[in-house]
Amino acid sequence: MTCETSGSLLEAYLDEELDAAQAAQVAEHLAGCPACAGSYARLLELRAGIRSHAPYYRAPAGLRERIRSAARESSRQATAPWRAMAIAAGILLAVSAGWNAALWRSRAGSADSIARSMAQTIESSHVRSLIGTHLLDVPSTDQHTVKPWFNGKLDFSPDVRDFAEQGFPLIGGRIDYVGDRTVAALVYRRRQHIVNVFTWPSDARGGETESDRNGYHLIHWNAGGMAWWAVSDLNLAELRRFEHLYRAAGDAAP
Amino acid sequence: MEAASKLALYEKLMLPHLDAAYNLARWMTRNEDDAQDVVQESYLRALRFFDGFRGGDPRPWLLAVVRNTARTWRRRERASTTEPFDEAVHGSGLHVATIETELVEGSRFSGLRECLELLPVEFREVIVMREMEEMSYREVAEAAGAPIGTVMSRLSRARRRLQDCLAARMQESGP
Repeated sequence: MTCETSGSLLEAYLDEELDAAQAAQVAEHLAGCPACAGSYARLLELRAGIRSHAPYYRAPAGLRERIRSAARESSRQATAPWRAMAIAAGILLAVSAGWNAALWRSRAGSADSIARSMAQTIESSHVRSLIGTHLLDVPSTDQHTVKPWFNGKLDFSPDVRDFAEQGFPLIGGRIDYVGDRTVAALVYRRRQHIVNVFTWPSDARGGETESDRNGYHLIHWNAGGMAWWAVSDLNLAELRRFEHLYRAAGDAAP
Repeated sequence: MEAASKLALYEKLMLPHLDAAYNLARWMTRNEDDAQDVVQESYLRALRFFDGFRGGDPRPWLLAVVRNTARTWRRRERASTTEPFDEAVHGSGLHVATIETELVEGSRFSGLRECLELLPVEFREVIVMREMEEMSYREVAEAAGAPIGTVMSRLSRARRRLQDCLAARMQESGP
């Protein structure tokens, strides 16, 4: 075996990835070639150095339990669609008198199942933002700070509004992911409750929906070429009020 | 699969690899808080995609999820800061962390942690998987989502860079 061949096989030899015949050939070459043996010794030394001097970071205490409870919570949500459906149906019955036909249509057929899976995704994003340490990328109560912050980070420019006067102060925003899409998340506070508003461009019209998942209320609407989702553990009446503020502000925009 | 038994199987297969997941995330993000967030999100994703797990060794499968999550995280972190990542700034912070080891050891590997942290992430991740987790080329390839040949060449280049980095440090500190 030449030094060149040995050199190309040296790391695979080190990593014990060669078959027995090749390994024997490399070993034989190393025994008679000080230069290649030196390269091999340096590789062994580097490996020993990494194993003795580079820290192996073990998971901090508490992480395992946090993961277990998050997984159980998530599993419970994912496996109880009938419950969400039952609740949605209950809400629907209760409020149907006051709601228009568009609402009925949006709840029908396949649109309903798409909306449900979207609601689940949105709710997961909301929960994730609360349990992690990543609620805000840009903590600011100033809409004129938050809006430009998104520039260049998204392929659209979200409409950012503050409703501090009406009791829903903006506290900031962040980039989030819904499905495979990058979306803007705007974060509001109502007393001790957090409201996440997710928005991204969409051609859909009408299709307002409300749902209730595990104590979180979700309201979805389409306006101004954007899809909007507001989610919170706030009571439904207040979340509806917030939605109306948002829509009214959108209608008033030039 | 029934939900309760699916969750039980997921916990049984995935939780034993928590340290491996955390170690990889910690080296990829170079930050404890980010690593915790990445691992937590990875485990939720792993549960969501668990039906796609086709048996075999769960570790490379889980580490593939961790790796992808950490990469998304890096992009998001980058998106959320106006300044580009500054190696010099981070390097000096890391230096402080290694001083203690240097004082105690004073060996030629005292700068190793820093050299490893300065490697491009696609080199760093293969070193972590191969040298710390002692995974085979095939397993690293699965976790890194790259062909075995690519893994071999990244590993080789990573080792060369580490050797050069250590040699440069030896020279700096003088005899």
